[in-house]
Amino acid sequence: MSAETSTPTSTALLEVEDLEVHFPIRSGVIFERTIGAVRAVDGVSLSIGAGQTYGLVGESGCGKTTLGRAVLRLEEPTGGSVHLGDTDVTALRSENLRRFRSRMQMVFQDPLGSLNPRHNVEMLLAEPLRVHRINDRAEQRRLAEETLDAVGLPTSVLERYPHEFSGGQRQRLGIARALMLRPDLIVCDEPVSALDVSIQAQVMNLLDELQGEFGLTYMVIAHDLAVVRHLSDRVGVMYLGKIVEEADSEEIYENPRHPYTKALLSAVPQPDPEVEASRERIILKGDLPSPANPPSGCRFRTRCPWAQDICAEETPVWREVAEGHKVACHFDRFD
Amino acid sequence: MALLEVEDLRVAFGGSTAVDGVDFQVDEGQVVGLVGESGCGKSVTSLAIMGLLPRQSKVTARKRHRGGVTVSGRARFEGKDLLTLPRNEMRKRRGQELAMVFQDPLSSLNPVVRIGVQITEVLERHRGLRGEAARKEAAHLLDRVGIPDPTRRLTEYPHQLSGGMRQRVLIAIAVACAPRLLIADEPTTALDVTIQAQILELLKDLVDSEGTALLMITHDLGVVAGLCDEVNVLYSGRVVESAPARDLFARPTHPYTVGLLKSIPRLDLPIHEPLHPIRGSIVDVIRWKDGCAFAPRCDSVTEKCVEGEPALVGTEHAHRCVMAEEIA
Repeated sequence: MSAETSTPTSTALLEVEDLEVHFPIRSGVIFERTIGAVRAVDGVSLSIGAGQTYGLVGESGCGKTTLGRAVLRLEEPTGGSVHLGDTDVTALRSENLRRFRSRMQMVFQDPLGSLNPRHNVEMLLAEPLRVHRINDRAEQRRLAEETLDAVGLPTSVLERYPHEFSGGQRQRLGIARALMLRPDLIVCDEPVSALDVSIQAQVMNLLDELQGEFGLTYMVIAHDLAVVRHLSDRVGVMYLGKIVEEADSEEIYENPRHPYTKALLSAVPQPDPEVEASRERIILKGDLPSPANPPSGCRFRTRCPWAQDICAEETPVWREVAEGHKVACHFDRFD
Repeated sequence: MALLEVEDLRVAFGGSTAVDGVDFQVDEGQVVGLVGESGCGKSVTSLAIMGLLPRQSKVTARKRHRGGVTVSGRARFEGKDLLTLPRNEMRKRRGQELAMVFQDPLSSLNPVVRIGVQITEVLERHRGLRGEAARKEAAHLLDRVGIPDPTRRLTEYPHQLSGGMRQRVLIAIAVACAPRLLIADEPTTALDVTIQAQILELLKDLVDSEGTALLMITHDLGVVAGLCDEVNVLYSGRVVESAPARDLFARPTHPYTVGLLKSIPRLDLPIHEPLHPIRGSIVDVIRWKDGCAFAPRCDSVTEKCVEGEPALVGTEHAHRCVMAEEIA
């Protein structure tokens, strides 16, 4: 969220390499066979510098949530690796993985669905501490109060239950819970999309403040391009299980290179009738193809307004078109 | 005369008021937006106009607790008040002259009935088409809303279609009888941006070519800016600002509208432009008869704001703020 550039260097906190998550499709009642796979995440590499925010955008079904979950090992990757600091997260087993999870947490989209309705705030906030064997009640209370204060809730809410809060307050609780163990990395999956417009800004500003205060690294997953642009230093655009373009936030919004990124950006309505009247739209045809059977060559070619023969034959190379700006497309110009 | 004139519409569920005196109008062929956040009463307003709230019989009017919904005010459609229209009269108009598209297309379609049957149902009831003629017309409608291979789609079930396609089917059903007024309640909220763009384009096209008036209910100011001629901003069950779209975005007057516009991140502004959220939340509210309901969240609040009901001032660009002159 700082304005300086953020090309990943050796100080990367999170390093994802060629990550794959394939869900098997099974058939048969007695003799169950695997007849194919949904390639939800199909070879994704990215790295996030310490204290940075990486924004992952894409439409529903593109695999962005699965990717976020696989990074935290909430979903088992079927290939590739994830490194957080010097630790290979993908190689951790049972007890070691459980312990390591205190360094990486998640904020979910639906704050009501992710908070146990029968636990009051004190129990909710103490739970991650108990899981990680911090059992001292006084210490639990101290941490809970400190965290509530950080997310802008009064300590008087400790006795209250999730249903007593508004959507924005519940999301603050969700964030507080993720913060309890003072993690290094927080994966925020659609952190504001369930909230009202006037509340979204409150939560985005909060995420911003907390990043400075606790030195957090974020991976923000969202479908709203304006939200991602506001929060992120670096942005990756995902389509059908692959990242098709990646660059610093400012660069990708100023100079989108991939036709999909261009189409996405052109589809966002702006709250200004003057801008709207003159906005050039690229209306994509059709829907997302099935990730069980992605198109050959470039996966976007079936909806791409500029698709040529080569797009069906060859998979485009992941190449750098400007410093820190990578794209997977055969072409440089679209006329 | 306006096509639809809503005057002092009030809806209460038991003791809690959802719509608290809403006034607005829709002219022939016009696109009018009702904008607001959850709980502002925008959806209930549309349900009341369509007569989709539980009707109050004479018995329930006396025993307020039963049914519990009280609707008052007027919603005149071509001069006739829809709120007092007999049930069968209303049923005739609904689908034929008034139609509605809902937010969630999957729950608005019957999951166990083929798409074709759900469309021909409307054609039979309102246009008297049967058999092959109805099927042909249904295929034509699907084609009209941009569904490829319409004859095959007619034999499919809702779950076989994507979200965007389902919404197209709903729009096809809604426009089957060329209604004079189409009410769309958050028609693109459940959809991805690229699909949202397709649906908005389709609605725009229908309005332009058929001259249908559209009442667009949404929370998205971007959608409003791209589609609407007139905009009404709702807060806590009342219109707080009403103006032509260009005017509203160029000169927002009510502090709530101003606050909303300042709190959304925009792609057309510099990247690290700070956001200015509205403080508090919709639960911090006072009743309109005691003062401005937005006062507890307003940055320009004064004592004048809580001294009685603020009135809607102005004609072309109206607002409900006693401090408007001072703030500007």
